[in-house]
Amino acid sequence: MNSPDSISTRNVMSTRADRVLNEAAGLVRAPQRVVPLVSKLVADELRTVFEYRHLHSYAAATIPTADALRSIVDWILRAQQADGGIAAYYSLLTGYSDSYPEVTGYIIPTLYDFGDLTKQAAPRNAAERATRWLLSLQMPSGAFPGGLHRSDRGHHNAAQPSVFNTGQILQGLVRAHTETGNAQILERAVAAGDWLASIQQTDGSWSGEGAYQGTAHTYYSMVSWALAQLASESKDPRHAEAADRNIDWVLAHVKPSGWIDGINLRTHPAYLHFIAYVIQGTLECGILRRRDDAIQAAAKSAWVLLRKFETHKRLMGTYEPDFAGGQNFSCLTGNAQMSCVWPRLFEVTGDLRYLNAALKINEMLKRSIPLNGPRGVVGGVAGSYPIWGAYQPMRFISWGSKFLADALMLEQRATREFEAKFETKLETESETKREANFNRKRKAAECA
Amino acid sequence: MRLAILCSSPYSETGCAVTSRLAQLGHVPVGALTLPSWDSSTLLRKVGQWGLRDSLRYAAAKLAPGETAVQDKIRNPYLEQPLRHRDGVFRSLRQVARAYGFPVVTCADQNSTRAVEQLKHWSPDVAIFTGGNILRDELLKVPRLGILNSHLALLPEIRGMSSPEWSLLCGVPLGITIHFMDSGVDTGPILLRREFPTAADCDSLADLRNRMIAKGIDLIAEAVAGLDRGTISAAPQADREKDRQFFVMHEQLKAVATRRLNQIRSKESRLNPVTNECHG
Repeated sequence: MNSPDSISTRNVMSTRADRVLNEAAGLVRAPQRVVPLVSKLVADELRTVFEYRHLHSYAAATIPTADALRSIVDWILRAQQADGGIAAYYSLLTGYSDSYPEVTGYIIPTLYDFGDLTKQAAPRNAAERATRWLLSLQMPSGAFPGGLHRSDRGHHNAAQPSVFNTGQILQGLVRAHTETGNAQILERAVAAGDWLASIQQTDGSWSGEGAYQGTAHTYYSMVSWALAQLASESKDPRHAEAADRNIDWVLAHVKPSGWIDGINLRTHPAYLHFIAYVIQGTLECGILRRRDDAIQAAAKSAWVLLRKFETHKRLMGTYEPDFAGGQNFSCLTGNAQMSCVWPRLFEVTGDLRYLNAALKINEMLKRSIPLNGPRGVVGGVAGSYPIWGAYQPMRFISWGSKFLADALMLEQRATREFEAKFETKLETESETKREANFNRKRKAAECA
Repeated sequence: MRLAILCSSPYSETGCAVTSRLAQLGHVPVGALTLPSWDSSTLLRKVGQWGLRDSLRYAAAKLAPGETAVQDKIRNPYLEQPLRHRDGVFRSLRQVARAYGFPVVTCADQNSTRAVEQLKHWSPDVAIFTGGNILRDELLKVPRLGILNSHLALLPEIRGMSSPEWSLLCGVPLGITIHFMDSGVDTGPILLRREFPTAADCDSLADLRNRMIAKGIDLIAEAVAGLDRGTISAAPQADREKDRQFFVMHEQLKAVATRRLNQIRSKESRLNPVTNECHG
């Protein structure tokens, strides 16, 4: 008799085989993709040989942050499909994928942030189109479906509600409501939040139907963050309580090493992307819910990764429990996510070492963005460096672009605030010194 | 007192200056252990970082840094005194060794068995670390008293890299600490700890660092003399809650540290106009 694990492994193998065949067929259908594919493979091979230590080391910026940011957001805007959704990825073999509801949801805040920063209409318009598309996908229960939009049509999982995707989309809906004040969007967001609260387990986790692979995952702290955001808008205590309950469950998985256990992905290693999800969700939820225990736990985990980055000049693509060893490639998305976490910890704790690490990892990430190439490649963030690394090989992924854009905007905000604060401090110090000097002179004159 | 030198390269200016200064004061080392001047991985990294032309220029300078060009400018002008000698300037550790008569041994890794055996053979009382690998326990245990390091910040407040810059940003007084090395990063027992008043004519972070390196060499000499006479002893770092390790600082933060330095300078110029004129 077959165990569930062996069936699951067999399914994954067959999915992988399908994927390889599909991607090979993609290249046959569009042979013009051979040129960018080969040039990217050659470029990464050369870089790993000649620039290996440099790419993973800190070096002064060659690309200004604003230019890199513009290039990344342009990639996202180009990835928006006719239906309003954002493609999950651009594959060097098969081109753009179908729209991906999950990423479309949590890219919305990034688009609004970039629109605010540059005072441009295009990113805001793209966010509004994305919101309209997402609302059209919402299920009567309030949940959102998992998977890609078109490819899954007809598949038995096509209309399956997904906890994680609903949470990620919720982030976008809450932000869209804040930006537009549209009551219908809030109503739909509340419906999504109510669904999430209704299917939460008593221990605070989400497992069973709606959970990936049917099991509970600590990276669903991202869902808690979305619920905490919703609670700020809806003022409904049920949403806040659901967020708190899940964070309590996540915190029960914190180990003395700083590792937060319970990623629970069968047949996947713990990619940095998922580890960073756990940390980011816990931190952001902790900040919104004023939970010092959550902030401390996230900070401890983030600090371990910071030390690894500073000592080895890079982060591994995957980590074993307790951060012991991992696979030797860069999960660029995970790096970008940590670059979102560190500046936030700087904002919370005032510890400049977090900002310093974020600035340095961003230099490495900016260097990984192709400055030329076909649409889908230029300005894209690859799943892995080198491109054939284990995480999303041969693809430029939209969530990588989202996190790197967020990281660069956070870098700009944190450095601007720090510099302004520092200048004020310097001026105050000068003023105090001037006054003390003046008083001393006056006293001396009086004595004389 | 038997002294040994651990150096990051035979052409390290700081290494030459420390060795020469100690020798001038009568503490001629029993030997110096140095890493090679370059290796292939460093060159590859430089090609990626600077491009081929500049990397080749760098390699050429490393391989033939002008042993005979005695009139060459000293990169750190504050090391003029220890580096200058009757016939010119010490450009390499081998020149210092020839002048004072001690052996220089090159090793690929300071923690290698060969390096440890060599150091054991010299059986020094104290070794002076002027750069190189992270040292392992096996090597750290060889000198009778330990291995001395000059750290360009006050310990235990600022440990690790870019320490003068972090001192400026964190509002910790600038300073230098001479300490024995242990397996941690700048966590060993402290021999000397001195604040470093910023000179008003110190015009950049590089200039500040150069001055601190020179001051650090003086303090190393003072520490060696004190150990020799038995007048100083090391104290373990006590205030662990202040203990924070820092890493290489990003250029953007360095720019803020520079502004802080400029502000300190202008403040000092206002407070001590006469002193500064004397400095100038």
